[in-house]
Amino acid sequence: MKKKLFAAIDVGSYELSMKIYEMASGKDWKQIDYIRHRIDLGTESYSKGILSYERMEELCHVLCEFKQIMDTYKVDDYKAYGTSAIRELHNTIIVLDQIKSRTGIAIDVLSNSEQRFLDYKSVASAGDGFETIIAKGTAILDIGGGSIQLSLFDKDTLVTTQNIRLGVFRLNDQLKQIKAKPSHTVSLLEEMINDQLAVFKKLHLKDRKIDNLIVVDDYVSPSLCKRKESDSLTNGYLSKDTYNELLSGGTFKEMTPSVTIASQLIRCTMNVLDADYLWAPGVTLCDGIAYDYAVNNKLIRADHDFEQDIVACAKNISNRYQGSKKRGEALQKNALSIFDATKKLHGLGKRERMYLGIAALLHDCGRYVSLTQVGDCSYNIVMNTEIIGLSHAEREIVANIVKFNHDEFRYYEEIASTSTIDRKDFMIIAKLTAILRLSCALDSSNKQKFTNVKITPGEGELVLRVDTDINIELEKGLFEEKAEFFEEVYNIHPILKQKKSI
Amino acid sequence: MAGLNLKNPEYYLNRELSWLSFDERILGEAKDKTIPLFERLKFLSIVSSNLDEFYMVRVASLKDMVDAGYTKKDIAGMTPKQQLAAISVKTHELVNSQYSTYNRSLIPALSEVGLTVVRSHEELSEEEGAFVDEYFEENIYPVLTPMAVDSSRPFPLIRNKSLNIGALVKRKSKGKDGAKAETEFATVQVPGVLNRIVNLPSEDGKKIIFLEEVIERNISKLFLNYDVICASPFRIMRNADLSIDEDEAEDLLKEIEKQVKRRQWGKAIRLEVQDTIPKKLLKILVEELQIEEEDIFKIDGTVDLTVFMKVYGLEGFDEYKTPKFSPIPVLDIDPDEDIFASIRKKDILMHHPYESFEPVVNFIKEAARDKDVLAIKQTLYRVSGNSPIIAALAEAAENGKQVSVLVELKARFDEENNIVWAKKLEKAGCHVIYGLVGLKTHSKITLVVRREEDGIRRYVHLATGNYNDATAKLYTDLGLFTCNEAIGEDATAVFNMLSGYSEPEGWNKLSLAPLWMKDKFLALIGREKEHAVNGEEGRIIAKMNSLCDQDVIMALYEASNAGVKIDLIVRGICCLKTGIPGVSDNITVHSIVGNYLEHSRIYYFRNGGNEEFYLSSADWMPRNLERRVEILFPVEAPELTERLRHILDAELKDNLKAYFLQPDGSYAKLDKRGKVLFGSQDAFCREALEKFEAAKKDVKNTRVFVPETNPGK
Repeated sequence: MKKKLFAAIDVGSYELSMKIYEMASGKDWKQIDYIRHRIDLGTESYSKGILSYERMEELCHVLCEFKQIMDTYKVDDYKAYGTSAIRELHNTIIVLDQIKSRTGIAIDVLSNSEQRFLDYKSVASAGDGFETIIAKGTAILDIGGGSIQLSLFDKDTLVTTQNIRLGVFRLNDQLKQIKAKPSHTVSLLEEMINDQLAVFKKLHLKDRKIDNLIVVDDYVSPSLCKRKESDSLTNGYLSKDTYNELLSGGTFKEMTPSVTIASQLIRCTMNVLDADYLWAPGVTLCDGIAYDYAVNNKLIRADHDFEQDIVACAKNISNRYQGSKKRGEALQKNALSIFDATKKLHGLGKRERMYLGIAALLHDCGRYVSLTQVGDCSYNIVMNTEIIGLSHAEREIVANIVKFNHDEFRYYEEIASTSTIDRKDFMIIAKLTAILRLSCALDSSNKQKFTNVKITPGEGELVLRVDTDINIELEKGLFEEKAEFFEEVYNIHPILKQKKSI
Repeated sequence: MAGLNLKNPEYYLNRELSWLSFDERILGEAKDKTIPLFERLKFLSIVSSNLDEFYMVRVASLKDMVDAGYTKKDIAGMTPKQQLAAISVKTHELVNSQYSTYNRSLIPALSEVGLTVVRSHEELSEEEGAFVDEYFEENIYPVLTPMAVDSSRPFPLIRNKSLNIGALVKRKSKGKDGAKAETEFATVQVPGVLNRIVNLPSEDGKKIIFLEEVIERNISKLFLNYDVICASPFRIMRNADLSIDEDEAEDLLKEIEKQVKRRQWGKAIRLEVQDTIPKKLLKILVEELQIEEEDIFKIDGTVDLTVFMKVYGLEGFDEYKTPKFSPIPVLDIDPDEDIFASIRKKDILMHHPYESFEPVVNFIKEAARDKDVLAIKQTLYRVSGNSPIIAALAEAAENGKQVSVLVELKARFDEENNIVWAKKLEKAGCHVIYGLVGLKTHSKITLVVRREEDGIRRYVHLATGNYNDATAKLYTDLGLFTCNEAIGEDATAVFNMLSGYSEPEGWNKLSLAPLWMKDKFLALIGREKEHAVNGEEGRIIAKMNSLCDQDVIMALYEASNAGVKIDLIVRGICCLKTGIPGVSDNITVHSIVGNYLEHSRIYYFRNGGNEEFYLSSADWMPRNLERRVEILFPVEAPELTERLRHILDAELKDNLKAYFLQPDGSYAKLDKRGKVLFGSQDAFCREALEKFEAAKKDVKNTRVFVPETNPGK
């Protein structure tokens, strides 16, 4: 098969970068060009919400050049993503349209969790070391300009992730505000960082033992992973002691403020998490974009089940808010059974199936806050807790499903007036809410009475046959009410039938 | 070693004086009677052109420093003023020695072999006089522009480096009031468009006279209303060092165009006159040009000996010239397949001018036409007039290839040339980068990106010399073709950096100046020192054009002291001193002055037996390591490193053309008595021919007929 040429473009807050890859099926793909241009989009975007004329000119000029380079290589496809600087513009849509018409490059905007998910995928793409490393207790520290993302693995699945506002440029600004003396920089940084990390540790770490810290950043990683000549380092994997020696020995090629801050962030995180080893695979968002593209286009098969990470995150959140694990899992099982049996009716895919699963797991997390306003509270919890891998829009879908599982359903016009949900998303919410409600109806008593539900769609009817000898009076009684919405959405009447073994 | 101050000025030679020593060595070749006569003429002429450059660049800059009140001492502990004083003494000696060689040795020798140079028009016979007078009227007179100076006409602009004839004239008719007419100054430029050599009719052998003599003889015809009292040729040199304030220049290109024009207006810094010039005439020149006493050269003979390069070109004296050597084809390149196929087989090292430069031109030509080539990227420093490389690049762009060219406009003396080419390339659709702000791009690198069946492949040419097919026949240089992936990746990164993008996260094989190369060299030298300290053999052989970076020299001193044996082959300037006890006992400096200009830079480090060979565009000079974009690249294939080793060995063995730096800073040749003489350049020519003959024999010995293919391919 002819090799595919793919370009990944990252419109970052402080840098534009493009990597060109040559992809063949299997893992045999390589980077053949890497172009970076420093441009500060962040400062203007974060403070004013718009880009100045000059900045916009520069941005388009460089992107035009990127386009030319892509044309030179005759790339088969490309993906361009904008991150926080683009995301936080007031006029994102206008800016992106202008860029598209001036440069021909279509840029998609990544939400923080999508971006971090791609960063995370880039780590997974870094090679065979990944699965071995995460088999032990591992955390990923993803250092950005505005914030850092700290994620934890449990066994080999990512279970928790937290965005912390300790980005390199943010800290640098704070240092400037404080007018820190150079000699105090390190101790001040330590104080600023440790304070926030301590909270994270208390909330999420509990009794987990972290052995490895994986670092994704543009500042320190390059010097670490390219240090092939030194014997003690192989591909950026090094012990805490070696790292500290490098740090104190001033081995990093240039100690710019960014490098200083990033290296201190790494040091503090290692100390707080008590990690013994550091792995800096030297990957960037572009690698994640390419990996994602390759997987989506079936050029390579992912060794790691990333969807499982998302589900695991949801479970972890449910756990944090003391949701019933048993009920959640039973609900998830029933909901997915209904989803699978009614495929022809809803026509939704794998991704939506996952939303449903997550919504089932998180269905009552709001109970932790209030027993009377479960719907609203659940909605708020989901909207404010990051689930790595879900975009903002996707998170909103899940949050709405969870909400309407408890509260009265509201229709498009009403929802759209307060959110970014579009018609397509709305229909997903409606369809999945109907299914979730129906599966809840199967467990009105919260006792998981049905272990085996057979679902058969028929002429105008959906028969849910349960094998149980227990009294299901409560379920039967409430079923009609809960099934009503299902009928509205699918125009099919669900019927609960009990099959006793006696 | 502790307590030894390696910055001690006594451990260094002044770079300007070292430059002049190089000119002395060239003059030494002109004096060498074992060398064919016309080759000696060439060396004599090179001394003059070198001295011209030296004045325009170095003396000018020192004068600027003195004018600016700059008193910082150089590494040899001399202030700019002291340097100028020393330079003046040494250049006068050099010029005296040059003219004495010219008058006493070369002119008689020329006439012995049948070439008579009539040094002054007074020596012409009547018949010859009539001939040149007619020649003057027919050919010279129409292009002359005589200029007189009086109260209404200011002193005219005398162009830099141009040869002129100055005269004192007096009006013939008396003034209205009957007063005596005053003596006025007049001047006429010897036109550069005419051949300076005027052939005289001669029955036996050849006889020539120089143009300025013919003009001087006829000067009265230029000033008809005047009496010419006296006339004499003179030549001036002006400050030509370009120092553009790049922060202020909005448009670099325009700024340089302006500078080129402005250069002629620079301050006069040298005046050459014949020693027979009348005092009054000289006084006017000195006053008007504001020239100082030490910058006046009173010459016993023809002013501006660069004309002897043209004399060398006269037909009919082949037996007094070294037979012309035709470069052999590069045998690793199979003419029957495309050049890319040959490079895919193995890395190819080329030693010019013993081997042809043609493959480098063909590389670009083929890339321009190859359907699979996506992009061609190249740095151009000094290109020849009518460069086939430029034509090929333009063709490539027209064929839809992406062509990026960095044209270095700041290449000294060549800007005018380069601007023309750059514009031409832009017109053809190439992406042209006009150099980098604040840095000269001196690296020589070409990258061809090709999309092949099994993916993208990058072909790289790296060299020690410029992409100039003309100088490639005269300079010794090395070039490497490779499609090594690691180097290809680095080459891509180099061009990304030259296009203004950020540096790569790391380099595989290449080291770049001004960012990394110096550290790399210091580390490599330091590593040899470590080996020596650990009781292993430490060894460095380095060949370059100039050595004057103090950090590098200090590292070499330290290494020498630790026991590293260091042999340096430095063609020109060398500020390092040999034979200082406890500092540089283990260092030798060889300087080869041959028919070809030694230009390749080869660096060898023994590295405890794990030998490393590097080639580079950079010398060990601060300007190369700190203010230029340069590339250092390793040569790793054993077959190729053997060739490099052979080149270095042969040059170290050279006892014919090599001079050796003495502890007192002078250079001397070896005492040749009782020794088998060995010249490395001759040997390389011989070996190339042998190799070529052997390859031809190989073809003869096969039993398969090989049909000739279209050579125009």
